[in-house]
Amino acid sequence: MSKRNSNWGNTLQGRFLRWMRFGWEPMDVLLIDKMSQDRDESVNDALSAAENLRDLQLSEKYNADTAIEHSIMQELDEWSLSKGRKIVNRLYALLSVTLCVTVILLLLETVIAMPMRGVAVSPTNNEVSQRYIEEGMEETGAVNIVAGMILDYRAFDTLGESTVLFIAACAVLILLRIDRDKDGRPTQELIAAEEDDRSHEPKSDRILQGSAMILTPVVLLFGIYVVLNGHLSPGGGFSGGAIIGAGLILYLNAFGFAKASRFFSYKTFALITLLSLSFYALAKAYSFYCGANGLPSGIPLGTPGSILSSGLILPLNICVGMVVACTMYIFYAMFRKGGI
Amino acid sequence: MLEWIRFIFTAAFLAAGIFILIASVRGVYKFDYALNRMHAAAMGDTLGIFFVLIGLVFSAPDIWLGAKLVLIIVFLWIASPVGSHLIARLEVNTNPIWEKDVTAARRTIEEGDTHGHL
Repeated sequence: MSKRNSNWGNTLQGRFLRWMRFGWEPMDVLLIDKMSQDRDESVNDALSAAENLRDLQLSEKYNADTAIEHSIMQELDEWSLSKGRKIVNRLYALLSVTLCVTVILLLLETVIAMPMRGVAVSPTNNEVSQRYIEEGMEETGAVNIVAGMILDYRAFDTLGESTVLFIAACAVLILLRIDRDKDGRPTQELIAAEEDDRSHEPKSDRILQGSAMILTPVVLLFGIYVVLNGHLSPGGGFSGGAIIGAGLILYLNAFGFAKASRFFSYKTFALITLLSLSFYALAKAYSFYCGANGLPSGIPLGTPGSILSSGLILPLNICVGMVVACTMYIFYAMFRKGGI
Repeated sequence: MLEWIRFIFTAAFLAAGIFILIASVRGVYKFDYALNRMHAAAMGDTLGIFFVLIGLVFSAPDIWLGAKLVLIIVFLWIASPVGSHLIARLEVNTNPIWEKDVTAARRTIEEGDTHGHL
């Protein structure tokens, strides 16, 4: 708080504010102040007695009002429990059916108004998609047209998507993370959350642990394969990252937070997502600045079909995959325990 | 001739798998208690999907696609029974009607008999 003048109420600003609030003339305030100073004790007592009487009358009136209100509310309650519930239920059903039918009709109307599928003159068969299909492989070097689309032609959009994931993970961290106190000791809430988690966690379940021993490496390898092969086959950063995140969650479920936190902490999350997003932004900034409109960007496209090809698409896929995997893991850990 | 044999095998396995899946869905809706329902769902998850994927293996155009489908079967046969086991475990651990059995099992574990592991 900043320092405030002790006589603030009588400054120009204070009087102006009071006048604004209550509609008093500033002169009245001055007059009343003066009168209250001039008043002697007996007048004060008489005044306070009158005020007390007025308060009593007001409170009686208030009580009467609340009694009336109470009886009205009770009648309303009884009505809503017997007859009103039926009416409200019927109205609810009617309104929901009306809403559904309206939405269905609107959507059907839109579908009817859309151009027919497969007609040569329809706007979906314009020159843009034709150009993507015919020259996409040559321009981006990616065999998978979708990867070339989302990570080369429309890479800016994908950067926004990854940033949305990062922001979502940050928001979940802010909302659900249970912090330690100032000295670094765990708080009561954290201890309670860990106790609750321990009672529900499938602890030392040999069946789960055995299957996780077999499955986790396979799942992680498959996720890495999907990420690295994103420009050659269906897949890419988003789906591969989701698979890697699922593998991490499986490991966490089988072996618990103590073992999972050896390789995944808040620092790991911050480092990986920050590096991925900044590399993505820098690489695409360079590419937009130097490589747009057919300018030579100096990044070799390679032969389409080999694993080290298609320029920036492979590293960008890796970045997106890491962000997605970290986000999935953080979401799971936060919603389960409120911490890693 | 070979095409016909493949087609017949594919159709037979797919029909068997779909029958088992429909039966498991019927079981999920018919039974009342969580463990019974989970049993029906797990049947569909393992045997039904197994038959469907075996049918797809017979109809696969080359051997590598068939091998990938076999790998998917292996994955599902490891993963889905474990999932059912975890659901059953949660039900047994949290439902009060099993409390006596759970404490008895815990006691046997504490006494050193790890075969009754829960």
